[in-house]
Amino acid sequence: MNNVSQRDAFWTRLYEVARQDRRVIAVAADMGAPALDQFRRDLPGQFVNAGIAEQNGLLVAAGLALEGKHPFLYAIAPFATFRVLELIRVENSIMDIPVTIVGVGAGFGYEDSGPTHHILEDIAALRAFPHVTIHSVSDSTMAAAVAEHSCGMKHANYVRLDRAVLPELYQAAPDLAKGFAVLRPSKAGWLIGTGYMTHKALRLANRLAGEGLDLGVMDLFAMPFDEKAFVAALGKAPRLFTLEEHFLAGGMGSLVLETLNRHGLAIPVKRFGLEMDKGYSYVYGGRDRILAGYELSEDDLAKAIRNWK
Amino acid sequence: MAATLKAKAYELKKTMLETCIRAGTGHVTSSLSCAEILTTLFHGGALRFDPKRPAWEDRDRFILSKGQASPMLYTVLGDLGYFPKEDLQKFAQAGGPFGVHLQKSVPGAEITCGSLGHGFGLAAGMALAARMDRRNHLVFTLLGDGECYEGSIWETALFAGHHRLNNLVAIVDRNYQCVLDFTENFLALEPMEKKWEAFGWRVKRVDGHSFDDLLDALKGVRSRRSVQPLVILADTVKGAGVGFMACNPIWHGAAPRGDEAQQALRELERSARDE
Repeated sequence: MNNVSQRDAFWTRLYEVARQDRRVIAVAADMGAPALDQFRRDLPGQFVNAGIAEQNGLLVAAGLALEGKHPFLYAIAPFATFRVLELIRVENSIMDIPVTIVGVGAGFGYEDSGPTHHILEDIAALRAFPHVTIHSVSDSTMAAAVAEHSCGMKHANYVRLDRAVLPELYQAAPDLAKGFAVLRPSKAGWLIGTGYMTHKALRLANRLAGEGLDLGVMDLFAMPFDEKAFVAALGKAPRLFTLEEHFLAGGMGSLVLETLNRHGLAIPVKRFGLEMDKGYSYVYGGRDRILAGYELSEDDLAKAIRNWK
Repeated sequence: MAATLKAKAYELKKTMLETCIRAGTGHVTSSLSCAEILTTLFHGGALRFDPKRPAWEDRDRFILSKGQASPMLYTVLGDLGYFPKEDLQKFAQAGGPFGVHLQKSVPGAEITCGSLGHGFGLAAGMALAARMDRRNHLVFTLLGDGECYEGSIWETALFAGHHRLNNLVAIVDRNYQCVLDFTENFLALEPMEKKWEAFGWRVKRVDGHSFDDLLDALKGVRSRRSVQPLVILADTVKGAGVGFMACNPIWHGAAPRGDEAQQALRELERSARDE
């Protein structure tokens, strides 16, 4: 599925499912995608534009779900989540209404749009809600698989899609129920990435291997995930590095630390993400420039990993 | 019909008041303002429902968007047999399903609701689903007027008007009061008719304590020719029937205690007799 954006892969697969299942409804908050045009054209009875009104979009989607539909709320990620956070709390967490919230632009995906369009806190916020699963998607094969999987979910699901067209990581969809996948095995420690940063983790692993440091790579894409399988997969790893395009407070790295703590594992962990004191980014000219501002360029990361004792 | 409903409304209000007095909590005044509205909906033939089958597919949905009026709805549901009436004694008590704000765990309650500006949008989604499936049931929802300060209400009003959800009936309990003050004093909501009309709704304005008015407004609601959703602006008094609580913001969210509790019950009885 090379050269296909995650959102087009997602909507293409969902379109295929929706043609067979009238319960699948797209609720867009005035957000498009080339693949969504096909959905709108062929399935107008299953497409709703809620307008630039995410609160109404979330509520209408939840009302549809109460009547047995499988609604997908679609918007740019910060608006699909933080604009409606208290509604997600009441409708999807407290009332446990199964809506799939599809947010585009994970991390710095909308790189030059500035901090209103970056989303760097969503994992922390949404994983605090019982009944809400997060799918932090890392490639288009996974995006398509998550689209189909979402139709059968009994609880709410937040799908964070990258805006960029990224290289494929998977030949076939990974085991979504497990929530993570080993992309490169190792006994000398792990680089654990999520979303966009999983791609960086793979490049770093290759680079460091050339320097004699052999680290494995895991893609942690669902939260919560199968913790027992995760702990088993870690093996006797002497150390872990987590990489996320997200503030460090409460993000994926925090979740890994909590998991180790819950299982009584004292493995040293270095978390790479956005330091809180650096705040938001007003750097333009591409994602790499933005990440360099947080000392998360590949050179910075390689050096920090080599030097971390 | 109106006389029967009046007697039923008094019985329900008395039970609601006793329930809140026993629990020492509950939004009594918010419940009193909508007592006649709920009585008309559930006993005046407007709503189609079956207490023995709370999940009956063809039931009309009733969404209490002003979730703080839960004591009134719980009382109505218990009285209808959705659950044993005696269970109301567990309102806000250990071992009961009844939160001070509406809880979905109570048989007959469609949603959990306490935060405002939620139920109305859910109701619109449910009405849209009914439209998609060509089902004939209606979706009724009761909003508070203070709830109309929430932006989400107007997002949904615009949406329901545009999509011509004429299977959606909203009733606004227009009691003119919020927690701190009267609406028109601190942030005017009027003119309400013009606002709803501008959002594409058919608007009726009634005395929300008059059964004749309410019955008339709901007459033929199942066979309306209009493609517009219907909103009934029901002018009410917060705390109606209990003189010292009525139109007195300090009584928001509270139940009377001790001597005041007895006085409230006496005043409620007197007002039912005098009307």
